Amino acid sequence: MAAALVHLSLLAYSAAAGCYLTWLVRVSPRLVAAGRALLFVGLLAHVGAFAAAPHVDAPWRGGQLFSLIAAAAVALYLLIDLRSRVPVAGAFVAPLTIAAMVPAHLVHAEAQANAPVLTHSVILPLHVLAATLGSGALLVAFALALLYLGGEKQLKGKQGGRLLARLPSLTLVDQLGWQLTVWSFILLSIVIVTGSFVMHSESGNLLRPDAKELFALLAWALLAGLVQARLVAGWRGRRTAMLVVVGFLLLVGSYVGLLAGSPLGVSVDARNIVSIERAAG
Amino acid sequence: MAPAFICVGLSHKQAPIAVREQLSVTAEALPERLRAFSAVSGVHELFLVSTCNRFELFAIVERGEIGADLVQSLGAAAIPHALVRQGDEALRHLFRVAASLDSMVVGEAQILGQVKDAWARAQETQVSGAQIERVMARVLGSAKRVRTETAIARGAVSISSVAVELAGKALGQLRGATALLVGAGEMAQLAARELQAAGAKELIVVNRSPARAEELAREVGGVAASLTELPALLEKADVCLFSAAVQTPLVTREQMARVVKARRYRPLFLVDLSLPRNVESSVNELENLYVYDLDDLEAVAAQNRELREGELEKAEKIVEEELQAMLRDRRERNAAPVVARLRAQAQAIADAELARTLSQLQGLNEKQEKSVRAMAQAIVNKLLHSPTQQLRAEVAGDKQDLARAAAALFELPEEP
Repeated sequence: MAAALVHLSLLAYSAAAGCYLTWLVRVSPRLVAAGRALLFVGLLAHVGAFAAAPHVDAPWRGGQLFSLIAAAAVALYLLIDLRSRVPVAGAFVAPLTIAAMVPAHLVHAEAQANAPVLTHSVILPLHVLAATLGSGALLVAFALALLYLGGEKQLKGKQGGRLLARLPSLTLVDQLGWQLTVWSFILLSIVIVTGSFVMHSESGNLLRPDAKELFALLAWALLAGLVQARLVAGWRGRRTAMLVVVGFLLLVGSYVGLLAGSPLGVSVDARNIVSIERAAG
Repeated sequence: MAPAFICVGLSHKQAPIAVREQLSVTAEALPERLRAFSAVSGVHELFLVSTCNRFELFAIVERGEIGADLVQSLGAAAIPHALVRQGDEALRHLFRVAASLDSMVVGEAQILGQVKDAWARAQETQVSGAQIERVMARVLGSAKRVRTETAIARGAVSISSVAVELAGKALGQLRGATALLVGAGEMAQLAARELQAAGAKELIVVNRSPARAEELAREVGGVAASLTELPALLEKADVCLFSAAVQTPLVTREQMARVVKARRYRPLFLVDLSLPRNVESSVNELENLYVYDLDDLEAVAAQNRELREGELEKAEKIVEEELQAMLRDRRERNAAPVVARLRAQAQAIADAELARTLSQLQGLNEKQEKSVRAMAQAIVNKLLHSPTQQLRAEVAGDKQDLARAAAALFELPEEP
């Protein structure tokens, strides 16, 4: 059941991406409506997949975390779209969501969390929840930053273009990206604090000198700098969009570190579909 | 004879502005004019689209020839230019007008509102009824489809509207924005009106001649300021429009680099409509500053015009689809009375025969009686299935021969 729902959600996300990307080329409100509906259906199926496998006691295992991040990104995008109607961002978010789900397909189902001792403590779920929402928010902010950079290039270049024609306004894209960046900074701060607790309980140290920790700290520091620069000096526009792109790439580096450091590593065995599928049997 | 739909009048395509302005009707005079047209013998319903580019009367009349009478009532100046369109041609014209395919600037947004308004005024004056309402439901639906499914209305095509549209792309809604006008010529005046229409809250006019700045400020409801205040005003404004006649740029890159920081990187849209230019072109390279000069705006306008032209075919196809769907529905509605009379007659015969047969067949139980009734109904349905289909298809194809033949062949009673 859970496996079927995961496949359904992937299918719906892919179809939504197809609708939004086609809309960039061929204007039709039906495509936008279909994209929005498909993302929603995909999200429902995705959430259903998690609900259908309640015995998965460690949803932060390997690939499943990516699946959670993808669902969070879609939910955040749909909320933003409900408020500000930015279908053009859907053309970026939907493909990125699919990209976020790819690791979920590749990571071995048996990949373990670092701190089994804390499985039943509130710290680890909080850590995972903050990581999921923070990463999802940064993923959508990354999509908006790409959108901003592309739109700004076309507006400065005075050539016009499909992207600019579909954009609501650069200011709106910048503001939405900023709000998401602030949220992802707050959530990543929680991730780092709770992660240190987890690490301390496991090994007695607050930090572990590995790629995952290093990239996560760099991403957090960059976002901290960005928030500071915006509040103090008023930075906005191109330079903040570029910093968000770098911040997101650092976060991706952290997840690559997580995968490389997991006990069973990354498997490309096609039979290991999604960890949730395995867990659901 | 069935009532006809006609269109009588002229547009920018048939008559020069000198003729069109003679026909123009004020809002106050419109009801009286509508009633005068409505009083022409044989006119059932009508509405009048009167804009600066067209004066067209759309009407349901007893017969097409009444169009000639309506032309006479337009007045001597209009008669040599006026056109009378009838039937499908008139309907097609209305669909195209509402979809802005017949406008001077194809795709312009105002015409749909003007058509809706014209119809509403005719309803208020009680000269438009159910028949026009049925037509308008399709016309408005078709125009909406054209606007949403094609890019025909996208992209501004005049210099000032392109400037406002691009400013919107950078800044979002201009509602509440502060606009700075540097120069007080005709260009500045046009742009000021466009910015006000877009919702700009504060208009500041700066000019070398303070008297002229104050004059324009009064005209557009803004405030005048001195040219020496320009650096401070650049920090405050959201949109700046330059049209001052000066030989050296008023705004340099160096100066704007300082302004960017002072503005805390808030975006600023600069439109330079002057020659020689008032703003150094390299200002566009600075962060969150966008500079568009006359050539840039004209290039965007030309691109938009080209885009609209490219969408024309698609829009015409939608209009034709909607028109044909409406005509098909209408023809099917026309077929319905013949089919209904045929079926009613057949059913009456079947019921009478059934009653006679059942009275002769004594001792049938309930199930057997039900079977006999079902058999009679099945015979009626099977015998009439093919003629019904043929009649509907034939009438939908705008042919009445078969309907007339069916009426004669089965001796159908006349329509009440």
